Amino acid sequence: MNATPAPDDPRRAALAPDGSMATRDGLAQRWALTARLTLVLLRRDLVILARSRDTLGLVLMFAALCVLLFAFGFLREGAAAAEIAPGALWVTLLFSTTLATLRLFAADEEAGALHHCLHSAAGASPLFFAKALMQGLFGALITALLLPLVWLFFSAPAVALPQVLAALGLGLIGQALLGTLVAALMVHVRLRELLLPLLLYPLTTPLLIAGVKVTAISLGGGDLAQTTPWLGLMVVFDAVLLLLSPWLFARAT
Amino acid sequence: MTLPNPPSPRPVAAPLGLSLAIVVAIGLVEAALAHIAFATPPDIALGVVQKIFYFHVASAFAMLLFLVLGAGLSAIDLVAPSDRADAGARGALEVGALFGAILLVTGPLWARKSWGTWWTFEPRLTLSLLVELLALAVLMLRGLSSDAQLGRRAGAAMAVMAAPISLLIHLAVKLWGGNHPSVLQGGGVQSAAMRISFWLAVAGVLTLASALLALRYQQLRLDQRHRELELTFAAWQLRRTRTAGESS
Repeated sequence: MNATPAPDDPRRAALAPDGSMATRDGLAQRWALTARLTLVLLRRDLVILARSRDTLGLVLMFAALCVLLFAFGFLREGAAAAEIAPGALWVTLLFSTTLATLRLFAADEEAGALHHCLHSAAGASPLFFAKALMQGLFGALITALLLPLVWLFFSAPAVALPQVLAALGLGLIGQALLGTLVAALMVHVRLRELLLPLLLYPLTTPLLIAGVKVTAISLGGGDLAQTTPWLGLMVVFDAVLLLLSPWLFARAT
Repeated sequence: MTLPNPPSPRPVAAPLGLSLAIVVAIGLVEAALAHIAFATPPDIALGVVQKIFYFHVASAFAMLLFLVLGAGLSAIDLVAPSDRADAGARGALEVGALFGAILLVTGPLWARKSWGTWWTFEPRLTLSLLVELLALAVLMLRGLSSDAQLGRRAGAAMAVMAAPISLLIHLAVKLWGGNHPSVLQGGGVQSAAMRISFWLAVAGVLTLASALLALRYQQLRLDQRHRELELTFAAWQLRRTRTAGESS
């Protein structure tokens, strides 16, 4: 195969300055290459997202509908029950990010690019980080829609407390890392639309429990110091995933 | 012109130790059952229902032990892939899931009498349910994979991922239920006869689980050998066709 792209080839940006494929030693250089390739792949995915916004639109519509279902499904004195607002927010977030997770590798697969991205000279890590960032972006966009909707439908007393935003951020990071790993492991699995949630949801329970707790304490006007252990739990969860999932991704795909 | 002979399969000996382990396991389980039924007094507070405790706790030990073993062997298979580690990991996860199912059936039966409810979000209970669901999902992942090698690695990776997260699930459920009144711990072993029953049941269940794992391991290894032989035979057939083509 052609080892070095032509000088005007945009792929050249991803290579080391002398144009060699980076099999050179040096941890810093390898990390720099991984970061460069991650950005290249991320830019590619963003271009794809910008050209065809179907997935994003459908996921956002699903999220809105899901909150509405919660409002209809749980009544108190004939009106939507305000106390389920934290649960509605987090469960909707979990459900709708799963839809994005299921489509995360779809474009690469359909174009036949997945194999090449996974087995490039730089390893699978750039693809993992690029996809995790995409999944995180999807999660952030869904959250941006969900927060006002939940506030609107459930007349939640206060929004945008720093604790809630911190919990949402940590939850989205964890979901993005775990979702990317599970989605990649399922590329060749039959019935994966059904199986993926079965693997993903039990593993995300710590995030769900902690996120709902933090949100409930914050919205309920509780003692905000009580949120600290929960946020700590989410940080530990994210740290475990950050350590393990890129390695497992590279090993198992 | 001589054609190469087809590869002859290595003979597979049915190991004597395996048969022996199964006989010992059945003996121990029967002894535990007999001891529980006839020699152990019923619990003062809970009555005869408490007797489910012996096999319930023993199944919990077996589930924990074999799922941890399965995750450990999966990690080994990921770091240094070997057919032995693969067969061991899969067998251990299956046996762990089997005793998890027994745990989850006996648990609510006992909880109904001792705690007065079929289900409560007690941390260990919740963790057992979630871990059982995870183990089943990991086994399904392997089964539904269209590529055996990729499915094997994916299953191993998920098993490795699930191990540390299970600890976090336990912690989360424990913190979550922090405000609830603490659940009454019924049962326990109060007499010497109960202790004998308990350890007999633990020994019986663990021996049975080990024998089942050994049996399943043997079966999976034979399956691997079978696929290997099929490949070798296909290669031999190809070579024979080529040789025949050259000589004619």
